[in-house]
Amino acid sequence: MSGLRHTLHVLALAARNGFLDYSVTFTWKTWLSGWYLRVLAQVVFFALMGRLLGSTEQVHYLLLGNAVMLAALGSLFAVAGTTWERRAGTLPLLVASPSSPVVVFVGRSTWALVDGFLSSLGALFVVAPLFDLGLPWPRALLIPLLVALVGASAYALGTFLGGLVLRAMSTRNVVANVAWTTILAIGGVNVPVDFYPRPVEWFAHALPLTHGLQAIRDLVGGAPLATLLPNVALELAVGTAWLALALLTFDRLAEGGRRDGSIEFGG
Amino acid sequence: MRAFAAGFRLQLRIIRSDPDYFMPLVPVPLFAVAFLAIIEHAGRRDLAEYALMAPVLIALWALSLSASGEIVQGDRWSGTLEPGVASPSSFPAVVLGRVFAVTSVALFAFVEVWIVGRLLFGIPIEIHHPTAFVLTVLASSAAMAGTATIMAALFVLARSARTFQNSLSYPFYVLGGVLVPVSLLPDWLEPLSAGVFLSWSAGLLRDTLQPDAIRDVPLRLGVILGLGVLGFAAGQLLLHRILRRVRTSGELAAA
Repeated sequence: MSGLRHTLHVLALAARNGFLDYSVTFTWKTWLSGWYLRVLAQVVFFALMGRLLGSTEQVHYLLLGNAVMLAALGSLFAVAGTTWERRAGTLPLLVASPSSPVVVFVGRSTWALVDGFLSSLGALFVVAPLFDLGLPWPRALLIPLLVALVGASAYALGTFLGGLVLRAMSTRNVVANVAWTTILAIGGVNVPVDFYPRPVEWFAHALPLTHGLQAIRDLVGGAPLATLLPNVALELAVGTAWLALALLTFDRLAEGGRRDGSIEFGG
Repeated sequence: MRAFAAGFRLQLRIIRSDPDYFMPLVPVPLFAVAFLAIIEHAGRRDLAEYALMAPVLIALWALSLSASGEIVQGDRWSGTLEPGVASPSSFPAVVLGRVFAVTSVALFAFVEVWIVGRLLFGIPIEIHHPTAFVLTVLASSAAMAGTATIMAALFVLARSARTFQNSLSYPFYVLGGVLVPVSLLPDWLEPLSAGVFLSWSAGLLRDTLQPDAIRDVPLRLGVILGLGVLGFAAGQLLLHRILRRVRTSGELAAA
């Protein structure tokens, strides 16, 4: 089997494994009555803040930002997802196998990517009409593409952070929570990034979602499609950079246990 | 009461030895930044009390629900449920004391939000009615502990409860008027909202930050406490059901 085919095969098997795990946690019924209800409420929660401010413009700004935020939030579940193998005691087997652990883990949490994508679009297209946010047709057809880009970019960050928390599993939830609340706070979700001091703004530009969300705002606002391209390219660049960082560090972090003797078969 | 105090002390010792309990407090300042940025950007400092109280209530709810969900289940896994149940003390009272200890930790969120508001935005938390404020915080903590007892029981009773753990946040933040007053919700949601103690806590806490006189403080405190007692009663009932079930099925066994 060629190198690329082998990698894709491992990715597909890992993805299938992750989806099977996920299907134990959620059925369609529990997803819709539990998680989906939560994400709808999350977007409504912020949109109502706009109503409190007495500004329709703010309502729409907060609604759109927080609906797209869900794609990043979902993808960042990959942070905790990577620790499942260690908790299950199967990490040593992965480290010992000839495949690269990072390939397995990139595939392992693709359920998070899909979950975030569906949550984001499911919330946006349901909550937007409730608050009179128009999603112009046929431009709206591009929204799923851009949301997928945001999700993929955040997934790359999630995979990188997932590698870090493999060495400190108890921090997995707090790392994921800090990651998404940081994006929520400074990534242009609730206020424009230039609201913050310059160093914070620079940091925001290195985070997933910031540029992709701006592209979506421009798309919904009726900007010419060509003007969206710089932000799309920047979002792609940010995601690629986080993925490169994940590829460079993940295997080293996963195999660290072999060096210091902390790797274990127990859960 | 002794069982409650013993549970409280036990949980405080557990929390002291396990810094992970403080982890949910880490994102609180970021929530505060997000909410304060919204009102600051809109030039609406007059709404500061909404942005300041929301992260505190979110921390109270999230920390209490997640940690209390683990209490009975944790006892079960570690084999300490059996001696706890066999002892003459009231098991639900011990659980309530332990949940209350977790709830107390969540109050550190006040300090975090105060620091963020003061240092980053120059917006201090000005408490104009300190007595009402302290009473509301105490009543809300008690109500939270009572409500969280339900989760402590549900986690053992229903396997699917864990699935819903993450989902019990924003729907209640909306219904509880955590960030915006419930008067902004559709009319048909308001009766539901009145049944969530958070809506009474949020309104009263925000009022204590305003210089105007507060109306109906005893009544509103009474409703918060009453809803907490209802939550505890439901949790107690569920715990009894669990204990009866595990006794009947023989799952309760000395390790």
